[in-house]
Amino acid sequence: MTLVLLPVKSILLSVFICVCLWPVYGALDYTKFSHSTPKHKSACNTCHKIPTNNWTKVSAFPDVTDFPDHDACASCHRPQFFKGARPPICSVCHSKTSPKDDARYEFRKPASTEQFTIEFPHDRHQDVIALKSLKSSSNAVLLAHAAPPQQNFNNCTICHSQAATFSKPPAGGWIDSYIPPDATFKAAPVDHSSCFNCHWKSQEPVAANCNGCHKLATTPYLSLNIPTRISLKFQHEGGGEKKQHVAECTSCHINITKSATLRGLKPDVPITACTECHNKDGLRQDLNKELNALDKNRAFVCTYCHTSNVGSLDAPASHYLIAQRPSRKRSDLK
Amino acid sequence: MNRITPLSIFLLALAAALPFAIGHSQGPTQQVAVLRLKVKLKANDSATLKGLPRKRFFLINGSLEQNRTLIEAIERQPLTTRDCYYQRNGASPALIGWLKDGDCESIYCRAVEQEFVSGPKAVPEFATAFGASEKEFGNAATALKWLTTNVPPNLRDGFYRERKSVLDALLKQAQTSSGAPIQSVMTDRNGTAFFTGLGVGTYVVSNLVPAELGQTLATWNCEVQIKPDDLATEKPFLISNRKDKPVKCVAVEKPLPTCQ
Repeated sequence: MTLVLLPVKSILLSVFICVCLWPVYGALDYTKFSHSTPKHKSACNTCHKIPTNNWTKVSAFPDVTDFPDHDACASCHRPQFFKGARPPICSVCHSKTSPKDDARYEFRKPASTEQFTIEFPHDRHQDVIALKSLKSSSNAVLLAHAAPPQQNFNNCTICHSQAATFSKPPAGGWIDSYIPPDATFKAAPVDHSSCFNCHWKSQEPVAANCNGCHKLATTPYLSLNIPTRISLKFQHEGGGEKKQHVAECTSCHINITKSATLRGLKPDVPITACTECHNKDGLRQDLNKELNALDKNRAFVCTYCHTSNVGSLDAPASHYLIAQRPSRKRSDLK
Repeated sequence: MNRITPLSIFLLALAAALPFAIGHSQGPTQQVAVLRLKVKLKANDSATLKGLPRKRFFLINGSLEQNRTLIEAIERQPLTTRDCYYQRNGASPALIGWLKDGDCESIYCRAVEQEFVSGPKAVPEFATAFGASEKEFGNAATALKWLTTNVPPNLRDGFYRERKSVLDALLKQAQTSSGAPIQSVMTDRNGTAFFTGLGVGTYVVSNLVPAELGQTLATWNCEVQIKPDDLATEKPFLISNRKDKPVKCVAVEKPLPTCQ
């Protein structure tokens, strides 16, 4: 009996291994590289050299500007390197998978998903650059911003300058065909240039300590090419002909100075930041005008600040509160 | 199949009760109110109030009385002023002058221009760092932009780190004594800052580490009541270095200590 059953058990075990473990070990897609693979989680400088040898040719500053060398992959993946005439593993970095062609994708591979999130404590950076005393002169208190104008003080703009034009519309197209002008958005760092100039070698996290800023994301994601906005029509560099949007960033982004991480970070601009000018007696009544129009017609779409995806929703309680009106829903209106 | 055990019921009940338990231990449960802080200074009694920019303030749960030990620790702490710190750490008079010129407390406060690297206005620390950077990076533009990477740490961000260690110790004490996380915000150029998502209750607004105001060190420890209707942010909580009608709280000022 036992003799008869033994081969059956072996066959069942083999079938189990093939069916259950094949997808894991047998059918790996070597065209895709994931940093979350357990064996790819060793120290970053195991594979990435900082700076890469080619930095002087492609960058104005020492940086990681190229894929790791073959050694980084071949130490474990030698069999995959020599699998057929066009080994799939080559396509992780190479645009043509041929031993006779070493053409590579632009680094980092365009259109690939992001595998890391960025850890950036705004609070700490603001503390470091903002530290200013109040000048003493004949016992008078002078304010820090009364400093001579020729001095180039560091502030948010060292990382957030005016954004370049968005050449591509977002997925789904521009809402209401409204294409935000160049003055709309501020840029955010897209490379190491505004990090390494301080964090190169002795100011932690240093350049070689990638993990100090880059944290492995739970799942790969596609980064947005345009920031998400509630008030798409607000222009950072706007404010009419006189360019009156001159407030300091933190005057409107009221929670940014306490933010220790980018995770869960929201723009946090209260309506009061707008209404101090845009709903002020004797100045402008932009909010009141739209709330009046909404009172008369519940299908009215608020368009002064918003595109229709936002402007056709109920006005939030904060808008009614600041306009000193009772809060209302569209469904309660005519 | 999926059996409901007494343990799972207990865990479920515990999970459901946890938010209430935390809410209770931290006092207020409705995190809705806003405190609009305004910090304004007067150079003298006849001068007008002007905003104090770029200073960090903290909001601590509880009254002044409840935080008495913390307030005493704030008042007792020995503090090195900017000039004393840099003198003690061997900074050249030119570097101290450069910091003073921009009212800066660290070299990150403003860009280092070429004129401070060579020529009559040169700061020796910047000139040395520039030389090392030029050798390392191979071009003058990067060397200038990345100059701070070759400035010794004690002159680069040592003052910030020293202040931060004092601050961290006080924050730890504040968190322990108040039993709640401490919020912090930095004032904008008008001296305004917002504490948001607050529960109704009593708090202390403090800068924990004194601000250097000319020849004095100023510390604010101000009790403030947050009420449910503190939402519209139209009523600022004004604090200053001098008494005035709308001022709710005045700083305690001490003369700058002499450098050891």
